[in-house]
Amino acid sequence: MPAQPLDRICYVEDDEDIQRIVRMSLERVGKMTVEVVGDPLMAIDRIRAFKPQLVMLDWMMPGLDGPALFAKMRATADVNELPVVFITAKASQRDLDDLRAMGAVGAISKPFSPKDLPDQLRAIWHALP
Amino acid sequence: MDPSNASARISLRQSADPRLVLADRVRQLYSQMPTAIISTLIVSALAVYELREGRYIEILWFWGGLVVMLTLMRTVLYLGYRRSTDKVGDAAQWLRWLGISALAAGATWGFAAAVFFPSHADQQQVFIAFLLAVLVGGGIAIYAVSWPIYALFAAGILFPFNYVLATFGNRLFAEIAFIVPVFYVINVGIAYRLNRVFNSGYRLRHAYGKLTDDYSALNQRLERQLVELDEARRQVEASGRKLALFAERSPIAVFEFDAHGSILSANPAAETLFGYSAAELIGRTGTETLFPSSDRNWIGERWSDLIRKREPLFGLRTEATRRDGATITCEWSLTPLVNAENRVISVIVQGRDITQQLEAERMKQEFTSTLSHELRTPLTSIIGSLQLINSGVLGDIDKDVLELTSIAERNGQRLLDLINDILDIEKIESGKLALFSEPMLLADMVTESLALNRGFADRFKVRLAATGELPPVKVNADRKRLLQVMTNLLSNAAKFSPEGSTVQVSMEMADGTVRVGVGDNGPGIPESFRNRIFGRFAQADMSYTRQKGGTGLGLSICKRLIEMMDGKIGFSDRSGGGTTFWFELPTHR
Repeated sequence: MPAQPLDRICYVEDDEDIQRIVRMSLERVGKMTVEVVGDPLMAIDRIRAFKPQLVMLDWMMPGLDGPALFAKMRATADVNELPVVFITAKASQRDLDDLRAMGAVGAISKPFSPKDLPDQLRAIWHALP
Repeated sequence: MDPSNASARISLRQSADPRLVLADRVRQLYSQMPTAIISTLIVSALAVYELREGRYIEILWFWGGLVVMLTLMRTVLYLGYRRSTDKVGDAAQWLRWLGISALAAGATWGFAAAVFFPSHADQQQVFIAFLLAVLVGGGIAIYAVSWPIYALFAAGILFPFNYVLATFGNRLFAEIAFIVPVFYVINVGIAYRLNRVFNSGYRLRHAYGKLTDDYSALNQRLERQLVELDEARRQVEASGRKLALFAERSPIAVFEFDAHGSILSANPAAETLFGYSAAELIGRTGTETLFPSSDRNWIGERWSDLIRKREPLFGLRTEATRRDGATITCEWSLTPLVNAENRVISVIVQGRDITQQLEAERMKQEFTSTLSHELRTPLTSIIGSLQLINSGVLGDIDKDVLELTSIAERNGQRLLDLINDILDIEKIESGKLALFSEPMLLADMVTESLALNRGFADRFKVRLAATGELPPVKVNADRKRLLQVMTNLLSNAAKFSPEGSTVQVSMEMADGTVRVGVGDNGPGIPESFRNRIFGRFAQADMSYTRQKGGTGLGLSICKRLIEMMDGKIGFSDRSGGGTTFWFELPTHR
């Protein structure tokens, strides 16, 4: 279990409405610092600059989808060690299993509860080795 | 003589029933008895008359009385035989009696010869000798059907007579005494030959009789079989016409192939599907005409396999090529027709173009996927926003506004439930729902489900409570899906129970299974709804549905999920009102 409490999260999501809800949920309910990235092609640079403790990725995004971005992160220095949680409305159980096998630490289904989202992320964070 | 004909006759004679042959011989012997009796009486009367002048007149009368008594006994025997009810079964016994009577008759004459020959003059002696010769000769006609009886009869006459001749002291008589045995043997020999001829005749008669009976029975059977065959032929023709009609009108392509894969016939649907006329298809090799070259090898292997195993093959999907070069996807059923010698006569091949069906399935999957993503994404925003507002983290909100946003959130959740249910049903029906079963403590899952659904039940002012001990039994089940089932049953129970009541959850063990029951205090299940309650979109009363919420898919999904976990689901009325919905799962050992 990490020694630090979870308070810096980067969220890559193309849907602006959901960006806003997640930001509100994590900032207002979870009292966390959140960096939201709308363009997945810019994500790695933004993550590098923000230095989050955990990254949340949407599954379906234009230009570069979540799994592809995740694979790119795994191949990029500085960000390849970061724990990644997927938020998805589509992935099958098999897709999620594959992602876990690649190193994703969790998956949260849409629609999620903004009230519960911070606690769900903290539970995943505390379960990390 | 043709030896084969001779052996056929021997074989034919041997086929006669020996019991019947014997009975016929006995009947023949008894039929001669009246002649024998009358002849005996006439000859005896003549003898008495001619010999009355001798010294032994008393003995003559005694002998006459003996003949009368014997005649009476033979008459009784004859009448007894005539009245016998089982002439076949008792034939041997009647033959024995006849043999005794013949011996007695012969011996009576022998007695006469022994007594009266020495006591009379030459003239009477010639008469007696002549009489005896007539009797011995006539006996052949009477007893020839059974040479042993004749031998007894003749012996009874000739042995005493021969003794008298041999001991008379006259050289001529002594010489005659040497000839008499020869005469006896010759006569018995003739009787033996006649006996054989009679036997052979009787056997032939019976064999032919049996043959005639057999032929008659055979003829009748053949006639019956001909009628049956004619009926069968009519049925086969009718079936053939029906089959031809089915094949002709069938929307499915029907081919007949020979065992080597050449096309023997094709119906109009096959012509339409592949763009060839039947005349063009007949004689062609199926694999080369109907399938793309890339698939011919494996299709050929499947064909060889089918011919070797002689077993039908269903649901074979292949690409197929039309005459115009277009590629379609077909689903085939292949049925080998095998004759009584286990030889493949032909193979009936039915093909269906499923190209559009597959496209529809693909579109359905795409639609489902889109439905999943495109509806859930805006719902995430709608429900998420409302939850944030209603949770109060954004500050205090006006009471009326809060009431309206709560309604909006609740209905957003209903819409989400509906989408989830439709997706579940689609996954179950397409066989794409995978369960992740593992051994788990059922009581833990039940307790968790109670905790998860208490908030929902509170909205209806209903309590959820476990009744009694929850036994620590394990089941092999998908935890997430079992929670879904429990959530469905608990939410239904809460929705349909009156305010202030308690939904009771129980667990019971029974013979390798464990039953979880969820008992409500609701209005019960209407009779008309009971047999479709686990069907899709099942709601007892649509107005009630709108009032209480729910898609009508929940119980249908529960049933499928429980069955996928090798369990059963059902419901029963509770005494005092309400319903208990239950599911049973096999316990894990």
